[in-house]
Amino acid sequence: MRNKIEIENVSYIYSQGTPFCTEALKDVSCSFKEGIITGLIGHTGSGKSTLVQLLNGLLKPTSGRVLLDGKDIWENPKKINEIRFRVGLVFQYPEYQLFEESVYADIAYGPKNIGLDKDEIDKRVRQSAQFVGIDEGLFEKSPFDLSGGQMRRVAIAGIFALMPEVLVLDEPAAGLDPMGRDAVFNAVTAYQRTTGATVIIVSHSMEDMAKYADRIMVMSNAKVVLEGEPSEIYKNAKTLCSIGLDVPQITRLMMKLSDMGVPNRTDIFTVEGARDEILRLLGKGGNVND
Amino acid sequence: MENAFIKTENLSFSYENGDGGENAVLYDINLEIEKGAFVAILGHNGSGKSTLAKLLNMILTPTGGKIYIDGTDITKPDMSEKDIIDLRSKIGMVFQNPDNQLVATIVEEDVAFGPENLGVEPAEIRRRVDEALATVGMTKYARHSPHQLSGGQKQRVAIAGAIAMLPECIVFDESTAMLDPMGRAEVMNTIEKLNREKNITVLHITHNMNEALCADRVIVMSDGRIILDGVPDEVFSHVEELKSVGLGVPQAAELMYSLSKNGIEIGKITGDENKCAQKLFDLINEK
Amino acid sequence: MIKDITIGQYFPGESVLHHLDPRTKLLLTVLYIVILFMAKSMLAFILIVLLTAALIPISGISFKVIAKSLKPLLFIIIFTMTLNLFFTKGEGEPLLSFWIINIYKEGVSFAIYMIVRIICLITGTGVILTYTTSPIQLTDGIEQLLAPLSKIKLPVHEFAMMMSCALRFIPTLVEETDKIMSAQKARGADFTSGSLIRRAKAIIPILIPLFVSAFRRADELAVAMECRCYHGGEGRTRMNSLHFSARDLLVTLVFVLFGAGVVLLNIFTRGIGIGI
Repeated sequence: MRNKIEIENVSYIYSQGTPFCTEALKDVSCSFKEGIITGLIGHTGSGKSTLVQLLNGLLKPTSGRVLLDGKDIWENPKKINEIRFRVGLVFQYPEYQLFEESVYADIAYGPKNIGLDKDEIDKRVRQSAQFVGIDEGLFEKSPFDLSGGQMRRVAIAGIFALMPEVLVLDEPAAGLDPMGRDAVFNAVTAYQRTTGATVIIVSHSMEDMAKYADRIMVMSNAKVVLEGEPSEIYKNAKTLCSIGLDVPQITRLMMKLSDMGVPNRTDIFTVEGARDEILRLLGKGGNVND
Repeated sequence: MENAFIKTENLSFSYENGDGGENAVLYDINLEIEKGAFVAILGHNGSGKSTLAKLLNMILTPTGGKIYIDGTDITKPDMSEKDIIDLRSKIGMVFQNPDNQLVATIVEEDVAFGPENLGVEPAEIRRRVDEALATVGMTKYARHSPHQLSGGQKQRVAIAGAIAMLPECIVFDESTAMLDPMGRAEVMNTIEKLNREKNITVLHITHNMNEALCADRVIVMSDGRIILDGVPDEVFSHVEELKSVGLGVPQAAELMYSLSKNGIEIGKITGDENKCAQKLFDLINEK
Repeated sequence: MIKDITIGQYFPGESVLHHLDPRTKLLLTVLYIVILFMAKSMLAFILIVLLTAALIPISGISFKVIAKSLKPLLFIIIFTMTLNLFFTKGEGEPLLSFWIINIYKEGVSFAIYMIVRIICLITGTGVILTYTTSPIQLTDGIEQLLAPLSKIKLPVHEFAMMMSCALRFIPTLVEETDKIMSAQKARGADFTSGSLIRRAKAIIPILIPLFVSAFRRADELAVAMECRCYHGGEGRTRMNSLHFSARDLLVTLVFVLFGAGVVLLNIFTRGIGIGI
């Protein structure tokens, strides 16, 4: 798998040269693989929100380079807007950025800024709405008349409509109920499957990432501390706990069982995985009923 | 229940929509909550759980039915302004967004806001503020500006603001929804402490299943009605039902449910990971 | 970035100025401005600069913060300076003369005095009032000073409460503006190029979400305040009630002496003839 984005020795310092200066990233090097979903996990203040803003050029590294397809995104600072169209960024609580009179117009805002023609815009708006499960019957409604979950999905569709090669989402499900969370993650998965885009999801939730991410990267204190497939990451449950992250309840359960002397696997992070493991231990593996 | 602290009778609420019709939010809620209880209220967005909370302290007025708080009918027409203020000092509220409920620019001045409104003597306010900040573990930050605090710390200040009114009950309206895991843990620890050590009745509105496990009783709402009500293990054994109304169950309960579907004699389903681990341990050892 | 603006911000501390009664500080601020605009001679100006410079270390606010607070005003300062420098007509020979521009000695001194005035105004009022007084104290001070007006049915308490809430939300809304700007930039919004009309139009995607959010916050705050038994100013007590102390009297005395000094200097030294 090719690296889509590479971060080379990047540091970022906020308000440099003032008494408020803080180092949000310390000499970070990492890469994001093409065409998969990577979960970026870390507690508040671990530097992950800074990292995502560096990926699409909203922030410029204090030192180091950000490479997209092997090319420095700041090679030509005048063309940074093009990078922003190629790397779509969905901020936390994106529904608070809606402003147009209708749902349709709001989704069309990004493509319009790219300078696309009307037909292409229309095509993209409809396709994006379909990804997020917003019915075309809602197109003429004001986005402010929708429910919280719908508003969130319209805002995400606004980024989908840019058709970015890389899609970055900062806590896309924060504050939503379980149904709303599933709707958001299903939209992201649908977009990724159809377009083959590289997706990076920032999250606090190990449970969500266990369900949706192909790879996981863990940040703590302005550095990347763990990276790998979910099963590798969840093996380090104790490390995760020590840096203030929550491992899924199911992982804690399996660890407890192993502490009690059961010879079970502990790199389990989904209910299905745990079920199969318990059935195996009970000698009833094989034919599983969902 | 003899001495229910909160009691509702056929409580309903609806509001007029733009077209002259009515949108019903709550239907015939009959509920009794005893003093000192820790109750979690679960429900998807729009299930009416927040409306229920706002009815309890007369921020909203019911369109039908009665509410008794500590034996007093708060829906009676002759509620004076003083009665309403009394009621609100009895039932504190902590909301979702930590940025939108702090009034003052200094932590201790914010905590003092409630008692000041109640006309408490300055020396007594000082004492209550110090005690409330100590209870939530924020004494160190008394002179800070809320702007410099983390989400979890801001919520603890909001909680201190509620306790400074010496309430008998505090309603947490999705107070953990916008926090990170560390902030959630801070707030949940504070809530449990208030309930256990100060015997404050807690109504915790959430859609986080793991938080509901801390409660003594779980009430599940869907489309303006109470659909499940019981101790956590009892409620979480209704896996299919909870999923059908857009909620989940703790992973431990889901695991036990799916094992039972595979012909394992699992017994009582529980959402508690320790009990679940013990059960699985016994099963594996029996074999 | 917008975040860097420090005018009007409060810096908690334990200095003498922090501990003065807000009512004293409000009066001192008025006095300070009056003194500043009364000054007409060089010595008077030197006196004021000394006073202002002495207040900074007393307040415990770092010089860096003061310098930063002046940064957004750089344009106004330079503009005023240029205006005075080029357009003041003096009596004697110009110091410098090229093309149609003549720079006179008076122009130079005017320019310097104007800059000193602006810098002192911002620094002085900041140190005496805004940097060292929490917004709540400030509004308390205003409320009490204006209290007599409530006798004629003016809503003094409501006004003060509104002001204090507004102040409380400034940092939150500033942060929010930053966030919304970044988010719209991520959708390709461009705030820096194009014609004036284009740029004005580009602000709409920031203003609308900002307004919507401000209203939502106001709404939630109002409910939260009601839940905490807020019912207007009637019957309300305060944890920290205001009272004057000897300190207030002393500092006021110092200021009055300075004022008197400036007046005397105006009378007994040659004025430089600048008006307000």
